[in-house]
Amino acid sequence: MGNKQTIFTDEQLDAYQDCTFFTRKEILRLHGRYHELAPHLVPMDYTNDPDVKLPSALIVNMPELKENPFRSRIVESFSEDGEGNLSFNDFVDMFSVLSEMAPRELKAIYAFKIYDFNTDNFICKEDLEKTLNRLTREELTPEEVNLVCEKAIEEADLDGDSKLSFADFENMISRAPDFLSTFHIRI
Amino acid sequence: MRGHTGAFKMRGHTGAFKMRGRTGAFKMRGHTGAFKMRGHTGAFKMRGRTGAFKMRGHTGAFKMRGLNRGLQDEGLNRGLQDEGPYRGLQDEGPNRGLQDEGPNRGLQDEGPNRGLQEEGTYKGQQSEGLHRHEQEVFPVRDWDPNLPLKNLPLSMQEKRSTRDRRQQQRLSIGCWESWRRSQRIARRRLWEQVVRAMCGLQLWRKTLHTIEGKFGMGVKAYFTFLRYLLYLNLMHSVLMSGLALTPALLNRDEHTPRGFQGNDSVLDLLLGTGFLQRSPVFYSFYPPVLLSGPCLSSPLLFLLAIASLLILSVIMVVRRTVIGYKHTWMLGSSYNHHMSYEVFCGWDFCTQEPKTALLQHSFLRNDLKLALEEERFHQHVAQRTHVAQQRARLYFLRGLLNFLVIVLLGGSFYLIYYATVISQGEKPVSWILSLLVEYLPPITITMVNFLLPYLFCSISGFEDYSLTVQVNITLVRSIILKLASLAIFLFFLHRNIKSAQCWENQFGKEMYKLVVFDFLACGLNAVLVEWPRKLLVESYPSCSLLRALGKPTFLVPFNVLDLVYSQTVTWVGLFYCPLLAHISLLKLLIVFYIKKFVLFRCCEPAQRMFRGCQSSVLFHFTLLLGLLTALVALVINANILQPSRDCGPFAHGDSLFNATAACVETLPPPAQRAFSYFTSEAFALPLILVEIVFLTSFVSQGRANRRAIDRLKDILVMCSADKRFLVGKQAACLRALQPSVSAGSSGDARHTERKDPSGCQPFFARSVSAP
Repeated sequence: MGNKQTIFTDEQLDAYQDCTFFTRKEILRLHGRYHELAPHLVPMDYTNDPDVKLPSALIVNMPELKENPFRSRIVESFSEDGEGNLSFNDFVDMFSVLSEMAPRELKAIYAFKIYDFNTDNFICKEDLEKTLNRLTREELTPEEVNLVCEKAIEEADLDGDSKLSFADFENMISRAPDFLSTFHIRI
Repeated sequence: MRGHTGAFKMRGHTGAFKMRGRTGAFKMRGHTGAFKMRGHTGAFKMRGRTGAFKMRGHTGAFKMRGLNRGLQDEGLNRGLQDEGPYRGLQDEGPNRGLQDEGPNRGLQDEGPNRGLQEEGTYKGQQSEGLHRHEQEVFPVRDWDPNLPLKNLPLSMQEKRSTRDRRQQQRLSIGCWESWRRSQRIARRRLWEQVVRAMCGLQLWRKTLHTIEGKFGMGVKAYFTFLRYLLYLNLMHSVLMSGLALTPALLNRDEHTPRGFQGNDSVLDLLLGTGFLQRSPVFYSFYPPVLLSGPCLSSPLLFLLAIASLLILSVIMVVRRTVIGYKHTWMLGSSYNHHMSYEVFCGWDFCTQEPKTALLQHSFLRNDLKLALEEERFHQHVAQRTHVAQQRARLYFLRGLLNFLVIVLLGGSFYLIYYATVISQGEKPVSWILSLLVEYLPPITITMVNFLLPYLFCSISGFEDYSLTVQVNITLVRSIILKLASLAIFLFFLHRNIKSAQCWENQFGKEMYKLVVFDFLACGLNAVLVEWPRKLLVESYPSCSLLRALGKPTFLVPFNVLDLVYSQTVTWVGLFYCPLLAHISLLKLLIVFYIKKFVLFRCCEPAQRMFRGCQSSVLFHFTLLLGLLTALVALVINANILQPSRDCGPFAHGDSLFNATAACVETLPPPAQRAFSYFTSEAFALPLILVEIVFLTSFVSQGRANRRAIDRLKDILVMCSADKRFLVGKQAACLRALQPSVSAGSSGDARHTERKDPSGCQPFFARSVSAP
């Protein structure tokens, strides 16, 4: 399939194919998408691994992420600095985990990171409240929000510390029938 | 921790850790969990960390080894060194455990590779010297080496370095091993490509994706169910064509006239007479032919076709039902996770259009409000049962309404009986009236099935149940209505069928008429009811009556019941009208496009999101009920009625099983004896007993497991309470120890700074062991 592409070396494409759920064609397509977000910043030649990071403001305006209430959290969870600046590696990583092929455990790990707003490795009540407000655009009354959060924690918390650790979260998610079909983005 | 000065050593800590304004040496080993630090000065060494890590305003040397994802470095002195060669067996094993999880048909490995998080014990030598070489044995806590790279929750850079390490390992293993491994990887990649290609071949993928985005998962579930029925009918038609149609076509009787004859007209298409009666559509076309030997005769092949078709359908439908049911049933009420599922799995990340996003927001809000309503309703019920008089009144009301439902059902059954009797009587002269009379049973059944569910809906509103229970009760009543009306029709057809020739043909014609009319009703409903309603609502927005009526919404449960009903009719009629599977296939194809038109042009999205996944269990279960009804009807027919003497494949025998008897007689005697044993009661009864024993053992095992789960949950709660208590105690002890530590702090700090930079000191602290 002799494609005369000069963006990546063959070795790099092999590495991407091993480390993500994408094929070579899809990696090249992703690079095209990454490039068109900021054509003057992103070089067309990635053979020497340039250190280019796009700011989070550009990434959250992508059509795939624009309507997502958690877009800033998603981008932050995949960035190395936690601020949402994604290099191409992080970009590919993000869409790989969110693709259809990623297994449930991997998605659960990242879902936990996304919903953990204060990054303390627990989903506490405040995290849940923020999640809920983003989901319903603050159209629920505060008592309803409170009730829902309490009920959700009560359902999922196994070890009784009134916040969800990763084990609780994963246990609950492993039984959710539609987690895999909702937690995916097509690009 | 705040404002600590002096040395600090910790080992094997788990859990959150916060520190502020530290000065002095800091060593930590084997920490898992969150870590925050601010304004630290002085040396800092850490090893084998996992979990999030934040540091701010640090000055001084900093070394870390084996960090796992989540490093946030805010203004750190750039002395960061990430070291840690990896030692150990590297094996990129293939993905094990394909699991089909319904709508997501990707490759999922939920098999034995559950070693994603290794919370570690610290591996490595305890006695370390001063100048330790970086490459030496300090196996960084890493993930299960059998896990493919893609499944690791690391950043791309880390995955690449892991990959390089694994490749290096591979080089040091013999060429046989590396060849085997490369083969395995190539096979896995090929398999993934095949799966991807097959997923891409599925019919109507794009349309279903659009429907899911615009109308939600419940509506998509209906169309997925339709596609499943299409595949089922395709399988049926292939079996019938291969086993029954081909022998009949090859051995056609030369004397019967073919094609259009004198008295035929287009009406024959609707009535099943004339040229259609002589075509392969009906039972009489299939002659009893001996192909080669008594064991390869067309009646036997016909029986084989029907039997294999039904058995395959049973297996497929049961399998689908059980897969979905396992999720909901075995967990019981203690695992009702509705609220958490709504919050964490409620948002569809695929949404791209603003309108759809708005819709999803309102869906979620409504669903959450509904769930809260149910909670409040449950509390209200708990209060209500205390007043005996209210309870008595409620039960009386419910009894009355159930009686009303039974009366309605009885009335509709009587109507069907009346229609059957009229249609089997003498036909009027004019062709329009005779067409109407012939079609009276299907018309009655369809009208009854159309009107009564709405009545049931309004009746259940008065019975004071929570909303989901109301919906469920209406569904159950509608299912009973549809299946029972068909059963009653078949029963009265039995009684009243009188035909000089071929009663099977007559029966087949009735089934054919049912299918045709169902199809016509679907089309007429779309054109005469839904489309005008939408036009009216749009052209007269001010009229209050029309506004109250509103645009049509796509009612998923009732549409699904229609599909199940037509599939049941197909199964019953397949024996007497062998091409019914092909007709059904064509009909489903056209119905898909009709419903798609209704959905996209006429309907607006419902405000309540129908829980898609739970309902697919319901759909398949209803389909199973329909299949069982069809099986019972066919078995009764086979046993009670004799096949006609002059038409069809079984014309030469007294019963259907003469053909099989003829074949069995040609087998050797031991086989004959075995066969007669297997078909006798002496075999059936012990079989049933054995099945009952198995069932009982499984049920008791399930109950024991449930009790074990409850006990384990209690143990978990106790252990975590213990852990919190111990952590609190340790913090108190540390605070008490602080004055004594800070006294020797300056000496310690200098001491540690002189020691080896890789920080391999045995630590003093008591580790807080996680239970």
